[in-house]
Amino acid sequence: MDFTRELELFPDHKVTQLLFKDVKNSRELRQCAVEGKISGALINPTMLVNPFQVLVAANKAVHSQKSGKMKTRSLYSEIIFNLSPTNNISEAFKRFGISDGDDSVMVVLVYDRNESPSLSNIVAKVDGQQVPVGDLSSLSNLTKIKQLYKVTPQEEKCGTLLDAVVCRMASKDVV
Amino acid sequence: MAQEKSMAVSEFLSNAELLKQGAEARVYRTKFLGKPTILKERFPKRYRHPVLDEKLTHRRTVQEVRSILRCRKAGISTPVVYFVDYTTHCIFLEEIVGSLTVRDHIASAQQPGSCADAELEQLAKRIGQILAKMHDEDVIHGDLTTSNMLLRRRPENKESDLVLIDFGLSYNSALPEDKGVDLYVLEKAFLSTHPNTESLFEKLLKSYAASSKRSAAVIKKLDEVRLRGRKRSMVG
Ligand SMILES: Nc1ncnc2c1ncn2[C@@H]1O[C@H](COP(=O)(O)O)[C@@H](O)[C@H]1O
Repeated sequence: MDFTRELELFPDHKVTQLLFKDVKNSRELRQCAVEGKISGALINPTMLVNPFQVLVAANKAVHSQKSGKMKTRSLYSEIIFNLSPTNNISEAFKRFGISDGDDSVMVVLVYDRNESPSLSNIVAKVDGQQVPVGDLSSLSNLTKIKQLYKVTPQEEKCGTLLDAVVCRMASKDVV
Repeated sequence: MAQEKSMAVSEFLSNAELLKQGAEARVYRTKFLGKPTILKERFPKRYRHPVLDEKLTHRRTVQEVRSILRCRKAGISTPVVYFVDYTTHCIFLEEIVGSLTVRDHIASAQQPGSCADAELEQLAKRIGQILAKMHDEDVIHGDLTTSNMLLRRRPENKESDLVLIDFGLSYNSALPEDKGVDLYVLEKAFLSTHPNTESLFEKLLKSYAASSKRSAAVIKKLDEVRLRGRKRSMVG
């Protein structure tokens, strides 16, 4: 169900993604995250194309944290910020964080490889159905994603939508 | 902190396969977030003043990323940028798996008995079209050679994709002179790498001229640059 990867650049860090649909308590979950009762990034999965997009954001967040260059206050908010194609922080939260009415959520955890975070604790907090992270594409809103990342039709001829999205994320500090 | 991070990168690089040691950068093959990845690391040049060197290296890294993005937005295939570390000047790029350089492709097509003339002409035309599109976006590659063009075989396509790589010396310019020099660099490299390809290269230029909106001024500059090159070689 969940998907875990070690970050090659920071081998002491692991990233776990958990995906839920038919979520009924997104407002409460968001509150938990704000109060620090859930330590994870709560992401709106309709803005995600593929779990790789999350890994790119997480890797960059850990890198920024280690080099003292974070643009936001925590590693988890930095992941949400990194998903956005622009440098506007509140815009990033609005688009990529979960909002009160959302009925699906992607939870992203980053932790030391010697730790084993309690996934069941997270699962218990979400009033919804956990689904395999590989099902992400069935939740993606492709129209919105193309609009927000400003993906051109000719760009989709030379690569996938994921390619276009990842390129935007990786280059946003210099455009 | 910075210490810890540079340790992480150098440890990572020590496990990567070195593909090329250049004058400005090292190119490695590795895995990143599970994907086959090409890592390009620009290293400090000891003979330069450190502050100047840092500035120049930073600018080149930024420019490489910008040019790749610009090209992709215009529909020109280039490797995807996965991650950029501006503190160690490393760019993590998609590896074009199972690709062949245009250089190797032409060389094998030129073997006696390969009968690939028509196919090479098609390829030359496509290169001309892609470079026209790139110049119409005001991207100057800066190091056009047949080694910096890859052919990617796509299972779903009969025709393979042409992918431009190595934008390390690229920059932005609308000047016909800069575009003319870009083509001149390619011409020199092309004709010296591939003997007896004058007419093939002519096809490439013809296709460039037919595809680019602003080709007339560029070709005129190319002619001027050629003349200058010839004069210089007569003197030198
Ligand atoms: N994205 C890539 N995918 C596959 N091979 C590459 C890529 N980038 C570079 N190479 C190979 O590495 C060599 C040196 O890279 P470069 O310094 O970028 O020209 C090239 O001639 C290619 O054979």
